[in-house]
Amino acid sequence: MTHRRVVITGMGAVSALGQGLDATWSALDEGRGGITRIERRVGDSEIHTFAGPAAVCVPLNAKALEQRSGPRPLAHLDPFAAFAVIAGHEAMERAGLLDHPVLEQRTAMIWGCGSGGNQTIEDSYARSFLKGATNVHPLSIPKQMISAPVSHLSMMFGVQGPAFTIASACASSGHAIGEGLWMIRSGRTQVAVVGGSEAALTYGSWKGWIALQAMSDDTCRPFSIQRRGMVLGEGAAALVLEDYEHARARGAHIFAELAGYGATSDAHHITAPHGRGAEAAIRAAHADAGLALDAPILISSHGTGTPLNDKIESAALRNVYGDSLAQNRVIATKSSHGHLIGGGGALELVTAIQAMNAGVVPAVLNGLGPDPDAEAPLAWEREERRFDAVISNSFAFGGLNSALIARRI
Amino acid sequence: MAITADQILDIIAEEVPIERAELKPDATLEALNIASLDMISVMFALEDKFGVIIEQNDVAETKTLADFIAVVQAKSDAQAAAG
Repeated sequence: MTHRRVVITGMGAVSALGQGLDATWSALDEGRGGITRIERRVGDSEIHTFAGPAAVCVPLNAKALEQRSGPRPLAHLDPFAAFAVIAGHEAMERAGLLDHPVLEQRTAMIWGCGSGGNQTIEDSYARSFLKGATNVHPLSIPKQMISAPVSHLSMMFGVQGPAFTIASACASSGHAIGEGLWMIRSGRTQVAVVGGSEAALTYGSWKGWIALQAMSDDTCRPFSIQRRGMVLGEGAAALVLEDYEHARARGAHIFAELAGYGATSDAHHITAPHGRGAEAAIRAAHADAGLALDAPILISSHGTGTPLNDKIESAALRNVYGDSLAQNRVIATKSSHGHLIGGGGALELVTAIQAMNAGVVPAVLNGLGPDPDAEAPLAWEREERRFDAVISNSFAFGGLNSALIARRI
Repeated sequence: MAITADQILDIIAEEVPIERAELKPDATLEALNIASLDMISVMFALEDKFGVIIEQNDVAETKTLADFIAVVQAKSDAQAAAG
């Protein structure tokens, strides 16, 4: 069965690396990491404090949005929704689709989030339990609901087709992109605005990750010896997917073709990965794209920097690609922008496409040396190297996996 | 301490996506396109900042910002007098 071809005509990003595609790519290209050490407390509490490495999103510039939506468009948005509309606006603007009639009926909007409005939830608890208040802000529910970003995106840009959120932890936006691909392939819509966002640098979230012993206390060193865990990041990335014929007819700039999608579940454990699900997702994405496993490909790994993920993921790559793995390069951009959880899959696909189009393999940062237990052809140094295809993998807690393949058109 | 009209308008400007300069006392809430949920946020902020408790019924009949300011000031004075 042949499907409609789907291309990417818009991309946008905001994270610790900067706001916008240009800032994001120049940081990656130059090897400038966004991880710093933060120290925070809840209100003026003496005991509710947290500190450690994190990739804090840059301050948001909403001037372009203000021209569209009026003053202070981010005023009543939780950060995870604010990041979403900033990245979404950039993607829509780059696609040249702002105010386009296709948005009214023939466009879907699918957004990935891991955990909803953490800051709003925490503000309510802090007000109740630290200040003794018995009421919370009247907008606490519309700010914190996990569907808030997709609602604000559809309101802001007039997207009236199917719109919903996908929550599958660290694979949320990978799945959102993949399901957006199928919206177009199946003929339900001609355009899908997809992506994901997360803002989880809050006390409750931080303590939860610490309790899981998943967080690094120094930095993020994917696939390296002495790696000590993940580093939380925050931000968003968005992509505009479009029917190839529709894009061509209107003369749109095309970043890449979105060619393949694989989605699987480990059916194994709520935190520990099992390589079978990862392998199956990668194989499914290749089969979907019609791309042979021995064709050269730039691999944007999940690469969290936890001892277990990187070991299992590297084994999955070796099992899937065999001897041909050596000709590929593996990047791990969480070493630069941290782990965006629900937004990670989208940001990592965006940056992988930027790398492919630039002919540059950005360096994995913070490495102390290859780990024999997590062997893969990692890009420890920046390299100028052309690839015609990229795969972006997201392997989430709970064993939910997505793999997306994009290629030059 | 009495709450001034400017203090109330400042709070509205923080909670509602309208420039402070456009918030003239004789402007109607309808003309300013201020949604009822925005006004609930304003009342919440007034309670937070000044301790004045305003119920939705108190402002059900307000048409202009001046009407709203008068209600807030009256409630504030009455609650202060009641201690």
